[in-house]
Amino acid sequence: MMKNRKLFLVFILLAIITTSSFIVMHDLKPLQIQIPSNFPPPVYDLSINPVTEEGFELGRKLFYEPILSRDSNVSCGSCHQQSAAFIQAGHDFSHGVDNQHGRRNALPIFNALFYKTFFWDGGVHNLDMVPVNPIENRIEMDEKMDHVLSKLNNSSNYRSLFKQAFKVDSITSKEFLQAFSQFMSAMISANSRYDKYVRKEGEILTAEELHGLTIFEEKCRSCHATDLFTDGSYRNNGITNDFRFDKGRQEVTLNEGDKGKFKVPTLRNIEYTAPYMHNGSLETLEEVLNHYTNGIKPSDTVDSVFRKKDGSLGIELTDSEKKNLIAFLKTLSDKEFIHNSIFSEY
Amino acid sequence: MKKARYILASLFIAALLMSFIPSSDKKDIGTLALQFNHLFNNDPLVFGKEYKNVHGEKFTVKTLNYFISNIRITYKDGSEYVVPQDSSYFLIRQSDAASQKIQLNNLPKGKCTSVSFMIGVDSARNTMDVSKRTGTLDVAGAAKGMYWAWNSGYIFLKFEGKSSVIPDSLSNNFYYHIGGFGGFKSSTINNIRTQTFDFPKPVSIRNNSPVVTINVDMAKLFQHKTDILLSKNSNVMWGELSVKISENYAAGFSLGNIDY
Repeated sequence: MMKNRKLFLVFILLAIITTSSFIVMHDLKPLQIQIPSNFPPPVYDLSINPVTEEGFELGRKLFYEPILSRDSNVSCGSCHQQSAAFIQAGHDFSHGVDNQHGRRNALPIFNALFYKTFFWDGGVHNLDMVPVNPIENRIEMDEKMDHVLSKLNNSSNYRSLFKQAFKVDSITSKEFLQAFSQFMSAMISANSRYDKYVRKEGEILTAEELHGLTIFEEKCRSCHATDLFTDGSYRNNGITNDFRFDKGRQEVTLNEGDKGKFKVPTLRNIEYTAPYMHNGSLETLEEVLNHYTNGIKPSDTVDSVFRKKDGSLGIELTDSEKKNLIAFLKTLSDKEFIHNSIFSEY
Repeated sequence: MKKARYILASLFIAALLMSFIPSSDKKDIGTLALQFNHLFNNDPLVFGKEYKNVHGEKFTVKTLNYFISNIRITYKDGSEYVVPQDSSYFLIRQSDAASQKIQLNNLPKGKCTSVSFMIGVDSARNTMDVSKRTGTLDVAGAAKGMYWAWNSGYIFLKFEGKSSVIPDSLSNNFYYHIGGFGGFKSSTINNIRTQTFDFPKPVSIRNNSPVVTINVDMAKLFQHKTDILLSKNSNVMWGELSVKISENYAAGFSLGNIDY
């Protein structure tokens, strides 16, 4: 009887060991991603790549890691600076390796979780594949993905961080890119004064700001739609009519009708993201509004929303309306976000 | 009581052992291989060897890579075997003989009448998240050099080499990098080409291991519907001309010998 009992216990033990080996170890600390109530639903599928503290931390470290570039001088953070809401302050074009200049103004990278396409021309359509573009771009980081991975695999520190976050012994593009997506998914900017006002969290806007909001709803909302402040479309806003060096969306679609069209950018944190436009040609918000009232350059693809009844191009705005609009635009500044140390390099 | 415990324990062990046995019965499945055979004007394609295209241009080849995906086998009774999506992407490289043979396992037994496949990668897979881009689709692994980062998508076929008709200023190099899955949100060029070949007589999937050879004659790249000249277009990547090139090279795929 005793012997049989022992045998039975062995069976039970065996059963426990076998079943437990099939259960994924859930010892990672999940990081809750709060979707703001005034935002549309996320596009990126967090169930495929759930954000964990370990994965987010690793993504943050990679974001500020210069060995991702050929000459180990440029990190993602070089051109996406937190104090400038993750664009490159004061630069019309981004600076890459060997101090080369890109040809477009860096885009802010917050709220990426909610976007269907990425970059000014929309050439990338899955958040995971975004980092490959700057890493392999010759005038940005000028590296090759396989070489980046071999550098990381040669680092015992990175190997152990990836093992913690993804349970892998060697780092592949999957874990590398998922770490970035986890970091970017957590980068949600939704705590501006405007947000707290629309979510009725006790914030009040001034009369000037509210008037600005009314003008905005009437004259800007058709493109800067939803509380992401972009409809994600591609439009030619007449900032230039010389497309020789940059055809914008046409480079991706090969469609003549897309010549000179660029993604409608978000207006969130616009106070921090000067210079403006895809070519960084405007320095101030006043210049931006002056462009829309009387600076739109005509071309075949210029957007029809700018066409006035008399056939001329532009948005009608008085000087006081411009002042109020700018006051409103500054309510889109999210100070908590640009000072949040969880996104900082150190 | 004692007996009950033994029965319980034996049942448990039996269940454990069962879990290691694949669910489908091995007796009902067989294999089929597709062997890709690279040619130029019916001669075997060899790196560094000089060939002459239909336009009289002499050249040598240094790269030939392409994706084959979404393979389907049709049976005599009209049924179809579709290679499971997640293992349906194959990167064939001239530099790697092993890559030129696609071994399909788990085919239901029966008589096959045709095979169909894509030259390229379907649009859905081109827009998926990175967890669906492992193996041959890993942009930092097997698919290195077969992916456009700025205009996200796989390069379906890469054909590179040298020709004296191309100026020294271009190092005599030619590059044909053909991709384009039709676009995400807005439509654009689509270079996915699907080929279907009917077998002259049915291929039996039994206990044998039939091998179907697909000949890939790259001479067609230079002339089929459209004339492509090295002297005129030595560097074709993203652009309208790539559509003409994919139409041309797709015609170079044909059914070769079948080893029944």
